[in-house]
Amino acid sequence: MRLVNLAKVSRFFTLGQSRVCALNQIDLAVDKGEFLVLKGASGSGKSTLLNLIGAMDEADEGEIAIAGKALGPMSDRQKSHVRRDHIGFIFQSFNLLPVLTALENVQYPLSLRTGGKAAGASSHKENKAKALVALERVGLADFVNHKPNQLSGGQMQRVAIARALVTEPDIILADEPTANLDSENAQSIMALMKQLNRQGITFIFATHHDYVLEQASRVIELRDGCILQDKQRVAA
Amino acid sequence: MLSINFFRYKIALLNVLRNRRRSLITLLSIQIGVVSLILFGGFVASMYEGMRENMIRSQLGHLQIYQAGFNQYGHIEPEKYLLIQEQVQQVSDLVSGLAEVELLTPRLDFSGLITNGNQSVAVVGNGIDPDKEALLSSAITLIEGEDLFPEDQAGALVGQGLYNALNANIGDYLTLLASTADGAVNAVDVQIVGAINTGTREVDNRLLRINLSHAQDLQFTQGVSRLVVLLKDTAQTQIVMDKLSQLFEQEGLTLEMRSWSQLADYYHEVVNLFDGVFGFLKIIVLFIAALSIANTMMMAVMERTPEIGSIRALGATRHEVMMLFLTEASYLGLFGSALGVLLGIFMANSITLAEFIMPTPPGSSQSYPIRIFVEWTVVWQTALTGVLVAVLASIYPAFKASRLLINQAMRSA
Repeated sequence: MRLVNLAKVSRFFTLGQSRVCALNQIDLAVDKGEFLVLKGASGSGKSTLLNLIGAMDEADEGEIAIAGKALGPMSDRQKSHVRRDHIGFIFQSFNLLPVLTALENVQYPLSLRTGGKAAGASSHKENKAKALVALERVGLADFVNHKPNQLSGGQMQRVAIARALVTEPDIILADEPTANLDSENAQSIMALMKQLNRQGITFIFATHHDYVLEQASRVIELRDGCILQDKQRVAA
Repeated sequence: MLSINFFRYKIALLNVLRNRRRSLITLLSIQIGVVSLILFGGFVASMYEGMRENMIRSQLGHLQIYQAGFNQYGHIEPEKYLLIQEQVQQVSDLVSGLAEVELLTPRLDFSGLITNGNQSVAVVGNGIDPDKEALLSSAITLIEGEDLFPEDQAGALVGQGLYNALNANIGDYLTLLASTADGAVNAVDVQIVGAINTGTREVDNRLLRINLSHAQDLQFTQGVSRLVVLLKDTAQTQIVMDKLSQLFEQEGLTLEMRSWSQLADYYHEVVNLFDGVFGFLKIIVLFIAALSIANTMMMAVMERTPEIGSIRALGATRHEVMMLFLTEASYLGLFGSALGVLLGIFMANSITLAEFIMPTPPGSSQSYPIRIFVEWTVVWQTALTGVLVAVLASIYPAFKASRLLINQAMRSA
């Protein structure tokens, strides 16, 4: 099943008076269950590509479709709904809301989903139960009431993974998810994500860490906004 | 909607509590604004009430009843528009049946000259029923001497300014000259029994009050210029006016009536002036509070740009982001207004209890203690305005937050 489809996608940025091509005529298709890694040097276009797939930025040229829905003609509100319903995000800096507990951070995306409908106390309870299950899946059942500042880097990233998982998205986008972690925590987080991938969740990573590459089922190397190499591999 | 609201309200509240010092400063600015408006509004209300009751209980009464045509032509030919004894009796009978009425008293107006032999001063005089006027004119204070009694046939109360101008003493006899009802000139002797203060300097410089019968003798008439009605409660003025109009119509009496409000031009001028001042002050105070709130919210948006990016990435719409910031502003407005209301009420009562004396106002001859009413209309309107201003002042920062580009907002972490 095709989850992501990019056709001739380009993205330009203006720096001063010059126009920089961040992505140039990219064609990319990602199927369900892939564990895809985007690698490349800084400025190669990895994050730009993730932003476009995540409906957080707009392509200057080409077409992008997520779960069969073309993003181009969508309003900002519709794109928000695509992010909410189809995509989970894991960020390098975790990006948890500091005022909420771990449980509430995980519950928050669910509240965005149910809030627009006629949600009541029962859905609030259901959301809480789902968030608890997600935290259990990442091994943080004992930290539900901890605020982000009471958690280690590895724990915060696990909360972020639980938050990405909880809405049962079609795809999870992870931008350098292990960059702010020590190697032990990074390995542990990668093992967790690989385990989730085996359960059917599709991952797209942007990274340049070798231990992430080792887990990948497919590696795409970017250079100067172009796909240099697209290689299927047998994951470790 | 409980689920989303629960989180929005919770996040907004926690964000308000997050930067406590800044939130406290913002709350303080709202609070100061609300307190100022409650105190000023309460002070103005007490001033209005004081002035209104002073006018009613020193000069006007709540209602005045005249012969038909008096208000249009009476100032040219007053003698032709006097109420005759029969009418006075009829009106008295009708008015005495109304439970809202405290008393009804006749007055006969005249103008003339009073002389002590050396100098003459123009006066505006009233012939009064001293017993009833003692109740009606309770706001008039006796400065020197004693009050006027019915048995003081030649007795006279003079305004403080007039008393000083005549350089007279209590007990002195003066000569009063005035026109009679048929146009001749008549003179009577009056003996000063007291000097009075009505609270209005212009009135005190010309006022002379004598017994009604003495004034009638002076003018060769049995009539009166007006009947002044005092009510138990000022708020009942219009009700009583309506009832009396109906009764006069039923009885075939062709009379005119004026309420204190129709007679008190000066009161309305002052009210209009102070309403304008209050409105202007309100705008300034609210503008300052709005600036403080807008500044706080802009700083919050700048500080929390990465967070805004995060919640947008998680699927929050622009509307949801905007509502989040407006909810924070509502909390600031609510807390600030609530604290302001409590402090305002406390300060209003404290200042009233302390009885600080105000300097004598222009045109008045009496100083008075500051009273600040807790005007509930002002209180709830000010509190509501505080919340509204907080929300309105946050619309632009909230809009800016909702329009942040997600990828750029995330990068500013």
